[in-house]
Amino acid sequence: METFVQSLVSGVLTGSLYAMIGLGLTVVFGVMRIINLAHGDLVMLGMYGAFWSHVLWRVDPFLSLVIWVPLMFLGGMLLYRFLLRPIVPGGELNTLLYTAGLSLLIANLALFSWTGDYRTIKLPYAITPLRPFGIAVPIPLALAFALAAVITLALYLFLARTDLGRAIRATSQNAEAAALMGIDVERIAMITFGLGSALAGAAGILLAPSLYLYPTVGEILIAKCFVIVVLGGLGSVAGAIAGGILLGLVESLGAVYVSVAYKDTIGFVIFLLVLLFRPSGLFGVGKA
Amino acid sequence: MALLTVSDLTRDFGGLRAVDRFSFTVEAGEILGLIGPNGAGKTTVFNLITGFLRPTSGEILVEGRSIVGLRPHAVIRRGIARTFQLVKPFPKLSVRENVTLAAFTHEPARRRAEAVACQILERVGLGDRLDAPAADLTLGAQKRLEVARALATRPRVLLLDEPMGGLNPREVDEASALVRQIRAEGVTVVLVEHVMKAIMRISERVVVIHHGEKIADGAPERVVQDPSVIAAYLGTRVA
Amino acid sequence: MTRVAIVAVVLILMMAPPLVTTNQFLLHLAITVLLWTLLGASWNLLGGFAGQVSFGHATFFGVGAYATMILYLRLGLAPWYGMALGGAAAVLVSLPIGLICFRLRGPYFSLSTLAVAEIVRLVALNWEALTNGPVGLLITALPPVALGTRGINWESKVPFYCIIAVLAALAMAATWILSRARLGAYLLAIREDEDAAESVGIDTVRAKVLTLALSAFFTGLGGGFYGFYFHYVDPDAVFPIAVSVEMVFIAVVGGLATVIGPVIGAVFLTTIGELFRERFQVGHLIFYGLFMMLVIRYLPEGIWGGARRAWTGRR
Repeated sequence: METFVQSLVSGVLTGSLYAMIGLGLTVVFGVMRIINLAHGDLVMLGMYGAFWSHVLWRVDPFLSLVIWVPLMFLGGMLLYRFLLRPIVPGGELNTLLYTAGLSLLIANLALFSWTGDYRTIKLPYAITPLRPFGIAVPIPLALAFALAAVITLALYLFLARTDLGRAIRATSQNAEAAALMGIDVERIAMITFGLGSALAGAAGILLAPSLYLYPTVGEILIAKCFVIVVLGGLGSVAGAIAGGILLGLVESLGAVYVSVAYKDTIGFVIFLLVLLFRPSGLFGVGKA
Repeated sequence: MALLTVSDLTRDFGGLRAVDRFSFTVEAGEILGLIGPNGAGKTTVFNLITGFLRPTSGEILVEGRSIVGLRPHAVIRRGIARTFQLVKPFPKLSVRENVTLAAFTHEPARRRAEAVACQILERVGLGDRLDAPAADLTLGAQKRLEVARALATRPRVLLLDEPMGGLNPREVDEASALVRQIRAEGVTVVLVEHVMKAIMRISERVVVIHHGEKIADGAPERVVQDPSVIAAYLGTRVA
Repeated sequence: MTRVAIVAVVLILMMAPPLVTTNQFLLHLAITVLLWTLLGASWNLLGGFAGQVSFGHATFFGVGAYATMILYLRLGLAPWYGMALGGAAAVLVSLPIGLICFRLRGPYFSLSTLAVAEIVRLVALNWEALTNGPVGLLITALPPVALGTRGINWESKVPFYCIIAVLAALAMAATWILSRARLGAYLLAIREDEDAAESVGIDTVRAKVLTLALSAFFTGLGGGFYGFYFHYVDPDAVFPIAVSVEMVFIAVVGGLATVIGPVIGAVFLTTIGELFRERFQVGHLIFYGLFMMLVIRYLPEGIWGGARRAWTGRR
């Protein structure tokens, strides 16, 4: 029984971080119908940001959110404005290929600059886990979960209550109608991409203390990200959250009760099943 | 035996019944109009006949043989061809190549297929633009291209989905003449259309569909005076 | 006539290296370029002509590689026959994959092929009884073969070069035949608009499945050669996403739906990549990413496609 609860808790905690990764991708897809294959590498940049600010300036990784998130927001906006925007009219497949190229470029520049050595962030408070009710919960993971919850809540409030958030939601539902209502769709697209990149960076920072860092980690992350986002429904924020937690649970329980080796396979099998039988996912905006 | 027989055709989308026990026949050599208010189910009927959608229930017979469950390319081989409401050319391929691809259904050799394609393109008036990419054509020309493409498959029945949509009055007249010409060459035509003037003029018989059901079937002059048809288009208070 | 001349030049260039140099590194480079030409050309059949962008072709590469290795190491079947069977194994695998993935269109198709490739990689990693898991399979000695009065020297790169040159040429010939055949025209129609293709009597499912099988065959052949030449196969060498992605890049950068495109793409990317790797060890894929971005932005028909257009002055 204790194993069950332990794996349930681990699953939810990891799942919340998976959800964070998926949020950025789903928001970008919802507004612009762009599947950004470089998203995983943006998460990687967040991870390395946390690492370097910890190693070079002794900044606690969770505090470094304050530094990196705004920078990645800006970076994302510039990336969209100057690199992606000219490509989008060429169609979905072209954009997919372009972001695949971008992904390779970012990951390999990182590999070249920082070498492929595995890095870890050693935090003094990470050594002893918390033990509420006898369940082991590593402190960085708990902190990450808490911060992920805060960020997600902030995102929700932003989208639901602010004018800019509403403009974003309107554009994702019907860009043409939004434009007719006076919304500057291009500006919204740029801001949304910035937002997606900032969320990716934040996800990376929250993940960094709990994972091994290496430059090509984006590859695995983007694969998982698709499972999450398709499971929950492309374009849906609630879906990304549900999908992330679901994947976390499936992997955690799968590792204990099915097989450690094949736990990653389960996610992909579910992914294929969802694509085939319920492509709009649990909450999806549906196929474009 | 009628050329095309549709019996009790029904299609549900979740809780919505888009086509409801819809039945009609098409006799060889006629021009049949299919009309109805927006959202009545006309294009859905075409999609069901041509295999792009599967019926929930009902039967579709071509000269007595069922075509339900056949994929679109197989329906073509049974002699039913269609055009699309929103034109679907092969945009980057040339006008000639667009039709040659269709001609392959009956002429496996490329040279013969191209020859047949060029002949048909001459007849629809696109003989001067054979090498232009299909995307570069005007809407009217693209519609004619799509008709040429359908004709190249040597259909017995040609289903035209709003061929006059978006055309100016002169182009509507040209399209009407083309429909008559096609029938004169032995192809039975069923057309869905909103441009009333055109469809009333060229159809010999009209079927009216509303909320997925047939509400009238007969000569154009009679159908247009049928109270239920008027109610469907204008609402009950006016009728 | 110029078309024939270009093809002749390319073929001559393909046969030249072992005749003009004995430098082992250069020969290795040439072999690698030709292997990627083969892989790029194989992917091009499905991705370039039919417009079905697969991000999971590593599945067929790996199946071909493992089939060849297993047949040799467990059953003693010489790798030159094993390669062909590797191709056949890849074709068999392609049938259920096509059945599943072709239900989807566009980017969803691409993502599904990615998922399948990852599942296959994980199975290969864990099914130790069949594949030896992460340890991989190793060839220590190749069977002796007589050629005239002497045996073939498997220590030299030359016989391998000859084999891969033939395989790459075969793939290019297949591409050329496809481009002239009715199936090739059908595929281009499917690429433009699948529904419209159905509506003119094209059996799109049959066309896609056939093309996938052809594509899988040549990719599997390449995988078999890989095992044969490098003597060692493990799941992270033959099944990773990187292999699938590289195939895509070579075909796109070179020029989709062309015969010469994959050669150009391989010469460009693989040469730059390998030279970079010699000097710096890591990060050689930077150029793949960079060139893909440049091509999509400025030259969507690829290097060869763009050159062809500039030449003839028309589309």
